[in-house]
Amino acid sequence: MSSSAIGAEETADLLCHLDNVQGIVDALSSVRWKRHQDAVIEVSEHGIVLIVEDSGCLQAKVYLQRELFIRYDYSAQGRPRFGVGLGLFVDCLNTFSVPGHSNTIEIRYPGPDMQLLLKSIDSLDACIYAEIRTRIPDTISWDYDFEPAGSSPLSFTVKSAALKEAIDDLEWPGSSVQITLQPAPPSVMFKGEGHGDLQIEFMYYANTDLLIAFHCDHAVSHRYKYKFLRATTSNLPSNVTKDNRGSKLTIGRGGMLKVQHLVSVARSAATHQYNPSGYQQPSRIAYVEFFVKPEVDGDDT
Amino acid sequence: MKFKAFLTDNGVALLEKRFLPALDKIDKTCNLYLTRDHAVFLHNLLNGDGLQSVAQFRIEALFDGYRISSQNEDRIAFAVDLSLLHRAIRSSVGICNELTAAGSASERLQIKLVKKLPANSTQPMPFLTFETKGYKSAVIQDVPISKPMSRAQVLELQSALDSAQALPKTLVQVHDLNQLQSFVDRMRHVGDVLNVWISKHGDLHLQISTTLITLGAEFRKLVVLGERAEAPREDRSLSAQARSERAVTRGDAEAVQVSVKHFAKSLQCHTAKPDCAFYGIAEQGACLTVIFQFFIPGTRQTDKSISLHCSFFFLSTPSNLG
Repeated sequence: MSSSAIGAEETADLLCHLDNVQGIVDALSSVRWKRHQDAVIEVSEHGIVLIVEDSGCLQAKVYLQRELFIRYDYSAQGRPRFGVGLGLFVDCLNTFSVPGHSNTIEIRYPGPDMQLLLKSIDSLDACIYAEIRTRIPDTISWDYDFEPAGSSPLSFTVKSAALKEAIDDLEWPGSSVQITLQPAPPSVMFKGEGHGDLQIEFMYYANTDLLIAFHCDHAVSHRYKYKFLRATTSNLPSNVTKDNRGSKLTIGRGGMLKVQHLVSVARSAATHQYNPSGYQQPSRIAYVEFFVKPEVDGDDT
Repeated sequence: MKFKAFLTDNGVALLEKRFLPALDKIDKTCNLYLTRDHAVFLHNLLNGDGLQSVAQFRIEALFDGYRISSQNEDRIAFAVDLSLLHRAIRSSVGICNELTAAGSASERLQIKLVKKLPANSTQPMPFLTFETKGYKSAVIQDVPISKPMSRAQVLELQSALDSAQALPKTLVQVHDLNQLQSFVDRMRHVGDVLNVWISKHGDLHLQISTTLITLGAEFRKLVVLGERAEAPREDRSLSAQARSERAVTRGDAEAVQVSVKHFAKSLQCHTAKPDCAFYGIAEQGACLTVIFQFFIPGTRQTDKSISLHCSFFFLSTPSNLG
């Protein structure tokens, strides 16, 4: 066992150390919208990307850039990809996050049997370890290449907490939600239709504190299934709504909706106290992106 | 069959704030077993299923003016609902405090065994009665209990209690129960069965292993009570799994499988504020035992008037110990 472990170290595609497990747990939890989800993890010299999909209509990606790790040794040819159960992976990582203790963990791939190996490395006399069995990933079932709808972008940035609240409120009409952007007056409208209808409007000039940025040169309107729209904000970690940076929504070609959140992966509060400026390193951000396909009958208007 | 006593301040502090909330988390009902010298709260000792616990107090730790008599060597045992018992003590204490605040003379909380005719019933039923007497008023609370156990049942309980006192040969000490609890609480999402290894070298190794994941924690160099042995040098560089398996093969460790749920429940006992805990496995992996240790306040000496331990009965011994 020991000799194979040492052998694995020499040949591991990835060996990285992480000092804020909770931040990564938060980032990965934000794409956890149901109980059983298969995730694909792709490793590259730039970092780790985790991808989940649902029904060919929704895809989410979490980008963990190499700057988030305190050590990142990558030595693979090509980009290794493997599948894991998202829930299991997050629950397992969560076990490593002991509140009130600094937790540095080592992540290694592949193990002797293609496992993903994790272990805590900050204490000599107590060690937490995990071996997660990986799968050969399915090919991505749909082409998620996001292309701009035209020469100028159709996008808006809204405070994350407000976006989550609006989407939560649209639950009762259920079914589907129409998102309309119009340049004059510049505004965004969410309209839920189902058992009844509910309309939530963000006026750019009236709500500059909520709607932070707005780009639209022609009116556009698409419908999205409520359950997919809801998945984009349902598990946002509390630090996203608390920091309330803003989430960016972009409508691409064919009405594909892209929702982007920034999740802080700053180190635990205890270590922050030593930082007199209170300044967070900008690189300690995990990027989370969702791609939602529009409903088929929701053609451009 | 008679039982009557006054609950002391220390007894109230022990039961109300510490032991009853902890025991309630193990299981709602338990047996209360009273003898001339001890009051014992017992969980699952007779049905032997899963998690057993024994919390034993010397009479002086809880009561004064203690009187007990029965035809069975002055031993009485019955089942009681812990949450009702807790509520009754809590509210009696509240009343006591109010009376004291009102300047009433020496209020004491009396506890006794009575038989009463409940409303709408023709059969008298047994109750544990809490009586708080003030200058002008008295508040009485009745906690329903089971019919006291027969002589045969009490004997059976006593012999189960005697055999539950047997200590594993090796015990390892865990200081930070909160850390262990937070770890096990997170770990329980991953699987249901916990493999536990305890070695004479002072290693405690916990592991959940399913077809999809193996998740474990190894705590090393813990203080050992009882049989100990030096760990072989060559084992240091091994993985936790390999180290444990080799120790079992050498006869330096025991292994057992228990339910994660039971293990997590036993950790709830930290609300009883033990000062530390010892874990050990009975020979042949018959059960995992945890013994909580209490110090005399302000000292590092064991308070022998209080004892609390839990045992987990094995699901099966791990078969993969090659």
